[in-house]
Amino acid sequence: MKTLFPLTAALLATMPATAATLTVNFTVTDAPTGQIMLSLYDNEAAHDRGGKPVRAAAVPVKDGKAVATFEGLAPGRYAIKSFHDIDGNGEMGTTPFGMPTEPFAFSNNAPPQGGPAPWSASSFVVDGDAATTSITIR
Amino acid sequence: MLDRRELFHRALLAGLGASLPGEALAAGLAAAVQPQWALALGDVEADISPRPLTRLHGRVPADLAGTLYRNGPALFRRGGTAVNHWFDGDGLVRAFALRNGGATLQARFVDTAKRRVEAAAGRIVQPGFGTPIRPGAVLGSADDTNAANTHVIAAGGRLLALWEAGSPHAVDPLTLATQGPVTFRPDLKGMPFLAHPKVEASGRIWNIGLSGANAFVWRLAATGALEAGQLIRLPAASYCHDFTMTQRHLIIVLQPWLHETDEMPFASGMRWRPEQGTRVLVIDKADLTKQRVFELPALFFFHLGDGWEDKDGTIHFDGAFDDSPLFATETASALVEGRYPRTERPLLRLISLHPDGRAQLRATDTTAEFPRNPGGNAGPRPTFHVGGYRPERPFARSIGRWDWQRGRGVGHDFGAHQIVEEFVPAGRWLIGTSINLAARATELHVMEADHLDAGPVASFRADVALPHSFHGSWLPG
Repeated sequence: MKTLFPLTAALLATMPATAATLTVNFTVTDAPTGQIMLSLYDNEAAHDRGGKPVRAAAVPVKDGKAVATFEGLAPGRYAIKSFHDIDGNGEMGTTPFGMPTEPFAFSNNAPPQGGPAPWSASSFVVDGDAATTSITIR
Repeated sequence: MLDRRELFHRALLAGLGASLPGEALAAGLAAAVQPQWALALGDVEADISPRPLTRLHGRVPADLAGTLYRNGPALFRRGGTAVNHWFDGDGLVRAFALRNGGATLQARFVDTAKRRVEAAAGRIVQPGFGTPIRPGAVLGSADDTNAANTHVIAAGGRLLALWEAGSPHAVDPLTLATQGPVTFRPDLKGMPFLAHPKVEASGRIWNIGLSGANAFVWRLAATGALEAGQLIRLPAASYCHDFTMTQRHLIIVLQPWLHETDEMPFASGMRWRPEQGTRVLVIDKADLTKQRVFELPALFFFHLGDGWEDKDGTIHFDGAFDDSPLFATETASALVEGRYPRTERPLLRLISLHPDGRAQLRATDTTAEFPRNPGGNAGPRPTFHVGGYRPERPFARSIGRWDWQRGRGVGHDFGAHQIVEEFVPAGRWLIGTSINLAARATELHVMEADHLDAGPVASFRADVALPHSFHGSWLPG
């Protein structure tokens, strides 16, 4: 669980010829404060085996919602790991035994199964000019 | 040995066999083949609304009024699927209230994430002690699989339904409604909290929570509020269902059933390494870094009695011990299917730890489980326990009292038709439940702690048969 969110700066990819914009809509039901921290992956190996995301973002929670936007994405499959940074300290809280204390969620609302949801359950397609996906954090 | 009920079923089915469709016949045969004791692992399909119990004989003592709360797994099967272990059923909190000479029963399931996920799915999906993970499982934290089914204690005006690998669940003492999992401090959310906290005379509560060879030591005020929490490292990654203490020390018994890999179900990651023996860790309550280790032969246990310390510093405690983990790894799984593949013979033993580092083991040949000690002074107290285990069927049939000082015991046999559950001290009385297999009903019994051999002074019978419960607490008033 400690490798769920490698703490990296956002990686800006070179704009491809056909670029899509992905909008990620969060519904946040557990607490009204803080921010959603998310990592966007573009391949299964990076997502499932501790590799780097292609993008990352931190967006504020307001009125039970948060929105993140990624521009200039190449069409293809992507997956998102996200958590609700309730205390706003920029890090996932953990217990003395290393288990998360702040809520987390994955794209497609894929359920965790003793670890992050696998790419096979959480990946989704980004094509055309604009794509959206929704995640609920509770 | 078939009893009359089974013979009746077989005769009935023989007569009907020609006219029943295949599935119904198979189900009927399955029902006929279930042993009588399978009632102890039956399913409760809905909460039990408050209802009076019928008084069978005797009278409730005038000085006895209050509620016996008990907890235990009470749902094992959903839609053709089942949990794979006795310990994985949904917790049902029962309240047996004694008032004005009468008794009432009420029971409600603890509202857990596990229960909500499986009710929505219509199937057992969550992993557990012996149950594997299945498609549809949701596993974001330990509390997602929390069955809240092992013990129920009172603290700070509410009940806590305890499990061991996750949070206590708060329960309302009057309505038995679930208030939710308890987080003692934000960074301790979902931390393991054993089902056997130990309470000092002051009301202060000690407990531990385990993860491999790491233990988190909990210290709570009598109100249930966190006073302190500290991580300590254990010399072995043992499975501990229970721990014990004296006035000055915590005692953690490290049996050689060791967590070696993270697996689901939990028991699959454990290995029995008897060559390592049993280590007993004695920890100074005032400074958890001050530790001593004692060595004993390999033993397996679930439950320990309260410890005490002699003037010379020798520490004593007893417990119900077996020679191997086979009850945990095989028998408790078979019980869910109505099978009893091997006889269980847990025996009461006393462990004495001397200041010079010697550890001694004293055995009885009394079968014993679910030990309880009355509260009171810090010295040795009698051990009350269930017993009378026989090869024919699982579970106990008698209640016993053992005094290590006198080296002898006294007890009462309820008979072959009774499954006797844990009895809880209540002043000079002992209160407990049984499953009457002949009447197919749960019964409540009051006994005099100093005269167990006289049998119950009062017995009541419910209009339902609840499955075998694990542990509970008596709340006077």
